[in-house]
Amino acid sequence: MTSLRDVWRSIVRRDPLSTDKGKSELVFLNLWLHIHPAKVKRENFKLKHTFYLGFITFYLFLILVTTGVALMFYYRPDAPQSYQDMKDLQFVVYLGSFLRNMHRWSAHGMVICVFLHMCRVFYTGSYKPPRQFNWVIGVFLFLLTLGLSFTGYLLPWDQLAFWAITVGSNIGGYAPVVGARLKELLLGGHAVGESALLRFYVLHVAVLPSIVILLTMVHFWRVRKDGGLSRPVWKLKPAAAGPLVRIGASAPAEVALRVMPASQDKTYGLMEVVTGKPIFETVTAEEEEDTVFSYPYAFFREAIALMATVTSVMAVSLFWQAPLEELANPAKTPNPAKAPWYFLGLQELVSHSALLGGVVVPALAVIGLLAIPYLDTNPSRRPADRKWAIRAFTLFVVVNVVLIIIGTLFRGPGWALVPPWVHVTGAE
Amino acid sequence: MKRRSFTSWGTAGLVALCSAVGVSLGAVVRFLTPSVFYEPPQSFKIGNPADFSFGPPTFLAEEKIFVFRDREKGFAVASAVCTHLGCTVGYFQDDQRFHCPCHGSVFAADGAVEHGPAPRPLVWFEVTAARDGQLKVDKDHVVPATYRLMV
Repeated sequence: MTSLRDVWRSIVRRDPLSTDKGKSELVFLNLWLHIHPAKVKRENFKLKHTFYLGFITFYLFLILVTTGVALMFYYRPDAPQSYQDMKDLQFVVYLGSFLRNMHRWSAHGMVICVFLHMCRVFYTGSYKPPRQFNWVIGVFLFLLTLGLSFTGYLLPWDQLAFWAITVGSNIGGYAPVVGARLKELLLGGHAVGESALLRFYVLHVAVLPSIVILLTMVHFWRVRKDGGLSRPVWKLKPAAAGPLVRIGASAPAEVALRVMPASQDKTYGLMEVVTGKPIFETVTAEEEEDTVFSYPYAFFREAIALMATVTSVMAVSLFWQAPLEELANPAKTPNPAKAPWYFLGLQELVSHSALLGGVVVPALAVIGLLAIPYLDTNPSRRPADRKWAIRAFTLFVVVNVVLIIIGTLFRGPGWALVPPWVHVTGAE
Repeated sequence: MKRRSFTSWGTAGLVALCSAVGVSLGAVVRFLTPSVFYEPPQSFKIGNPADFSFGPPTFLAEEKIFVFRDREKGFAVASAVCTHLGCTVGYFQDDQRFHCPCHGSVFAADGAVEHGPAPRPLVWFEVTAARDGQLKVDKDHVVPATYRLMV
């Protein structure tokens, strides 16, 4: 008979956490934790270096998956039954409206955090070699986040959903050559209807989340391989020059190796000699002093960020209800009809020209974002060396924010300019 | 294996792989294209001529059309779908114009764009008299704004 202790040992096979070996094994013997290094640079986890925006985005995604699966137990993607299910979630299902609130507010939060995360990465120059392609993956994750929000927006099948998606899908229809075909494929028809609801549902709960999970794995993997979380390397002290050792006789291309003092805690062995520079950032001996075991240093900080995120979303969901308007009515356009807020900048552009504002400008913006690491060949990450890059990106951010604010707050019935403090009556 | 046979087999394999991928992609796109659209018919009857009054147009919400009836000129049917982004426009009797609530496009009474981002005028549909005397609208037949049916 196996003792309980042995059963426990068969599940948790690492050494006790009181030992350094146990702390390392906790990380690299564990499927979920082994994306971390066993030891991290203390410097990397400073709040002001990243504001933990990537972590928060990921945690919001976890909340969205959890609450989303819960909502699926009570939701049928079938018009107009969907709207009844939403009403049930709001008034009948135990915790239904709380879960829906959490899902809605985390979705908004995720759009905001992805965007802020992108800004942080830009301003710290963290897309520079070797991380260029990870920036590209990040831009795709941003677009997928918007896609998830957009597909989720239709599911309540209320007036807000119906008209936001009508406007949004018609913007896509302006794309040259493929636009009309693309719209038909997306909607499964010529207007937003039952087939569109089913298609958006499948995209929202199965297709897009799977792609997001896959890309997130690659995104995290590359962060790890490229030397961990980004940090302001330009502030680091330059490494002290050690004595140089020459390997080989006197060949012209011989490599000079720097001799570093051996760490007392490590056993060294000569495993293999490889030539060439590693693609990723490596820990130098000076930095070695700044490293700590991931357990508990990194895990504790990540857990705090997770708890702060969950608590904030729960607090917001307690006090603010996710909107649910009346049942979708294809015959009656609400006035003004607005897309989801993160698309209101786009809608503002579209209100001036559908082709230019709805297709050309956004396409150029996305291509521009994707190309940033390849256009910006300035190797320095020091803000003082990249004034123009920072100005250009700031302009992009400000224009986006201003357009969204105008579209959200300053557009009234008939898309007329109305300041938010003026109440217009009788618009219908 | 000889170099020549390697090249020819390799080319054949590559061609086979590419065609397989191409056919599969085509099948996916075709699969996602509905074979039947369960949507309202494009051609439908809207009632007897006597059901429609002179003066302001009648708005049929289901069909998203405006039915105009003029004492001298007869019947005409305009689409209520804005040519900009598909919102439903409203007809305002006081200024005799169509206004779109989404992005502020304004159309004249004949459907021409007067203001706003709409790229094209509102569409007019063919209206005919069916055998039973009812009016029949065909959304697949777009007609000029001057088209009228005299009853």
